[in-house]
Amino acid sequence: MTTYRASFYVGLKEGVLDPAGQATLQVLHQMGFSATEVRIGKWIQVMIDAEDVVRAQAIAEEMGHRILANPVMETFDVTVTPV
Amino acid sequence: MLTYKDVGLSEGEYQEIVRLLARTPNDLELGLFGALWSEHCSYKNSKPFLAWLPHEGPFVVQGPGGNAGVVRFNQDYDVAFKIESHNHPSYVEPLQGAATGVGGILRDIIAMGARPIAVADILKFGTNQRAHALRHGIVEGIGAYGNAIGIPTVTGSVGYSALYDANPLVNVLAVGLLPQSRHIGADGAKPGSVLLLMGQSTGRDGIHGASLLASQDFGTETESMRPTVQVGDPFMGKLLMEATLAIVTEGLADAVQDLGAAGLTSALAELAYASQVGVTLDVGAVPCRETGMSAYDIMLSETQERMLLSVPKSHLEAALRTIKTFDLSVAEIGRVMPGDFLRIYLDSNQVADVPTQVLVASCPRHVLPNKFTDRFTLPANSESAPIPLTIDQDLGFRVLRHPDCQDRSPIYSRYDSTIQVRTVWGPDHDSAILHLGEASEGLQIAVSAPSRWALIDSVAGGYAVVVDVLSRVASQGAVPLGLTDGINGGNPDKPEEYERVAGLVWGIAQAARDFGVPVTGGNVSLHNETESRAIWPTAALGVVARHPHPKAPVADRPDAKGLTIALVNPPGDPTLGGSVLAEELGRIGAYPRIAPDVTIKALNLMGTWARDPDAVGLLACRSIGVGGLFVALSRALMSRAPQYGADLRLSAEHAALDLFNETAGQFLVFLDPALKNSWVSRAQDGGVTVKILGETTDSPQIKIQAGRTVTFELHALWQAFREGGGSNHVG
Amino acid sequence: MTRSMDAQREVGIVVFPGSNCDQDTIKAVRELGATPRVLDYRLTELPPLDRLILPGGFSYGDYLRSGALAAAAPIMDAVDEAALLGMPVLGICNGFQILCERGLLPGALLPNPHGTFISQLETVRVTAVPSGFSGLAVGDHLALPIAHHEGSYRIAEGQLHALFEQGQVFLQYSDPDGAVHALTNPNGSVANIAGIASGSVVGLMPHPERAMAEYLGSADGRRFLQAWFGQKGSPGC
Repeated sequence: MTTYRASFYVGLKEGVLDPAGQATLQVLHQMGFSATEVRIGKWIQVMIDAEDVVRAQAIAEEMGHRILANPVMETFDVTVTPV
Repeated sequence: MLTYKDVGLSEGEYQEIVRLLARTPNDLELGLFGALWSEHCSYKNSKPFLAWLPHEGPFVVQGPGGNAGVVRFNQDYDVAFKIESHNHPSYVEPLQGAATGVGGILRDIIAMGARPIAVADILKFGTNQRAHALRHGIVEGIGAYGNAIGIPTVTGSVGYSALYDANPLVNVLAVGLLPQSRHIGADGAKPGSVLLLMGQSTGRDGIHGASLLASQDFGTETESMRPTVQVGDPFMGKLLMEATLAIVTEGLADAVQDLGAAGLTSALAELAYASQVGVTLDVGAVPCRETGMSAYDIMLSETQERMLLSVPKSHLEAALRTIKTFDLSVAEIGRVMPGDFLRIYLDSNQVADVPTQVLVASCPRHVLPNKFTDRFTLPANSESAPIPLTIDQDLGFRVLRHPDCQDRSPIYSRYDSTIQVRTVWGPDHDSAILHLGEASEGLQIAVSAPSRWALIDSVAGGYAVVVDVLSRVASQGAVPLGLTDGINGGNPDKPEEYERVAGLVWGIAQAARDFGVPVTGGNVSLHNETESRAIWPTAALGVVARHPHPKAPVADRPDAKGLTIALVNPPGDPTLGGSVLAEELGRIGAYPRIAPDVTIKALNLMGTWARDPDAVGLLACRSIGVGGLFVALSRALMSRAPQYGADLRLSAEHAALDLFNETAGQFLVFLDPALKNSWVSRAQDGGVTVKILGETTDSPQIKIQAGRTVTFELHALWQAFREGGGSNHVG
Repeated sequence: MTRSMDAQREVGIVVFPGSNCDQDTIKAVRELGATPRVLDYRLTELPPLDRLILPGGFSYGDYLRSGALAAAAPIMDAVDEAALLGMPVLGICNGFQILCERGLLPGALLPNPHGTFISQLETVRVTAVPSGFSGLAVGDHLALPIAHHEGSYRIAEGQLHALFEQGQVFLQYSDPDGAVHALTNPNGSVANIAGIASGSVVGLMPHPERAMAEYLGSADGRRFLQAWFGQKGSPGC
């Protein structure tokens, strides 16, 4: 068994309204920054014990699909690295 | 090329469209029809039975048809109020579904020019694991929107049954205060005015939400029909609310219409139809959030936080200036003209042209068979409810632990109930009482949705839910101004489901007539059915009432020992039909038909007493509903540190029926013992029975003598009430 | 000595996009005999004022972090300046969050432990009396409603002790009798902290403007605001 670190970036699907991103963009403009779009998501780190990286990746993907991301409105990316 | 099926229409409806237009509609036009001829927008199935509801009353300013009902409150203010459902979206995405439900009904109130001052939520949940997660998301969503936009959630109702597992109900009542000088609606648009679209940029959110999601049953195939979920933005909603109210106050718009189900299509068509004008729309002028959106996408998008304004040219500059101060985006998207049409242009080409009369008011309706309502006259045949011969502790605890009777504080403590600083009674009471500052009179808001009562005899259940909310009003001596109803049912294409829902409305209509309180608006949500399992026919009733002394409500807990405990208007022949205890004992039975005459007298008498409680020695009072007298009494006495208890004497053979029947229109009262006898005689003079049950004590227990003596410790009842239990229920 | 209301008349109330307790605060200030002045967040200079309140709400929808976006609003430079000159500044709920994000008060407010909103009447105990307050004493307790999603007060490791030493912790969640312990902590705040002071700047999570009369459940908010105004010994305390 090896311990792997799974790093998830969970974000809203393209096209889904992101009120938080919008409000943040507005304030960035107000402060004088030039920016064109802000999307806010979250980063989740999960430590997984697995036989190999392929298995760890599979477990991580399943976590992403089943609980960490809301399939109705979110997508996720996950990278798995040995600790 | 789209077919009628793609937009959720039937072949007959399609042929009717072709006949009325005298041509075949193009794809975009077909999409408009799909949206506006959906059940959700056209009420094609429910209109025949909604016609039974009385809409007239001494306080009615605006009945059904507008964005919300309006009743007169006092010489300065009117009250706008309405219930809306957001059942289907809340199942698909509970948090956003419930949040956008709150946002949607608030915009309806705002579009009447009223400032929202209160929200109430009527929720039904299932009992399985998934239902638990749904409940969490739905409660979070309601709070997320209401708390952030700053409208208190002041009262509510929650119930549970496995039949709501895949069809949770989220009905939200919103109430707004409307200065009489500020009336506006969708019906004032004048030719020459400019149409402004204000708020959020349009995305592909919720396309076909009305026609498909809210108007068909759920099944495995609905998975793929999921549109992009609508996301609520209470921050934008708050700015939109302030901007709309500022524009209305300054008199800059001649009509306002919010965008809800079926988005721009519905908003434009409703505004044109109500104002009896034509409208043109340059679809290219609508600000879009995404690239490559077609006219079809833009017309059917259900992006939230948008408002349509009709602004006379002379006020245009001022209106744009006001909107700008709120940092909202706004676009001129069309014109109001004389005529009866909705014309849509894209790059100066006309891409749709439909008479609004056809679009809004010509959808073929369900036709009721002859003498359809005859079937509602007699109570439904059913197995009778059980009759326990003795009472014991177990019965009391089982009822109090039932999720429908349990403490709702785990839900309502997640809602801001005190913002705006009007809440004298909040969600920890049976109804909400708001003071309105300088005015001596206040506002009482009560909601109720005991769907078990309608399970077998929906006519009886519909009638009783009206009696239930009006009893809460009577217990405070308040004057009911108007009712709003949220009707929720299964698939209307099934005759038995149709009949159940129609019966429910029949019962509501009869009660509203008998008690002389009009229904000024509401909502119908059908197709609450998954894999052929329909929900219980569920009526969510809301009432707004004028409270005579809001800063000193009639107490709902006794605060002394030795007070006389009495029951006003107990049923002559009590039954457990439709009660929680009957469900616990395994055979629900039909809820009884309530006797109108004596109940009208009881409510009138109670109202008179509660208006001037000191004069008659009325020290505390509760109306009796779900869980019966036992739950009402427990709730009047239980607390973390209970002080007063009760000694009750009941007849040995009837005790269980007396304690647990849920017949609406009864009141538990706590009286000054010195005036006890005059109470009984006064009531009898008024034709109302009052039964003396016992008195309050200073020991923290409820002692019931009924042949034998059963004692309930209040701290144990409190624990059961707070923590619940029972493995088959969601806690 | 009781300062007269006249010397304290003008109270600026800063309204950010998404503020929603501004009207309640205006009403409360007016009830206490002072004059509220609404200040738009886009102002870069303050008009002549005696006091400032940052009211509650969800400024910018509480997006990014509650208070973070409002803390960057144009008016905040002027608020800094006023505070530096010793003007009394009161942040209520979201206003407290904004003051912490701005660095005018130490610490930060994190999401409540269960990630849910909490709305209920709480008792808070006066642990220190901030400068300028009168009519409140250490050990007094007040029943005030809380209504927030992010009210869990935190402070960097090692600084808690100094906060107490310097009398900056002025309110702590307690039981109805004023005893402070773990069971009376509604939101996981370190040491039950409900309010913090730093010179003339004070912030608290509870909403005094909602507890202005007994029929609303408590009149202790009136007492608190009177104390902030330096009004001594009001009736009914």
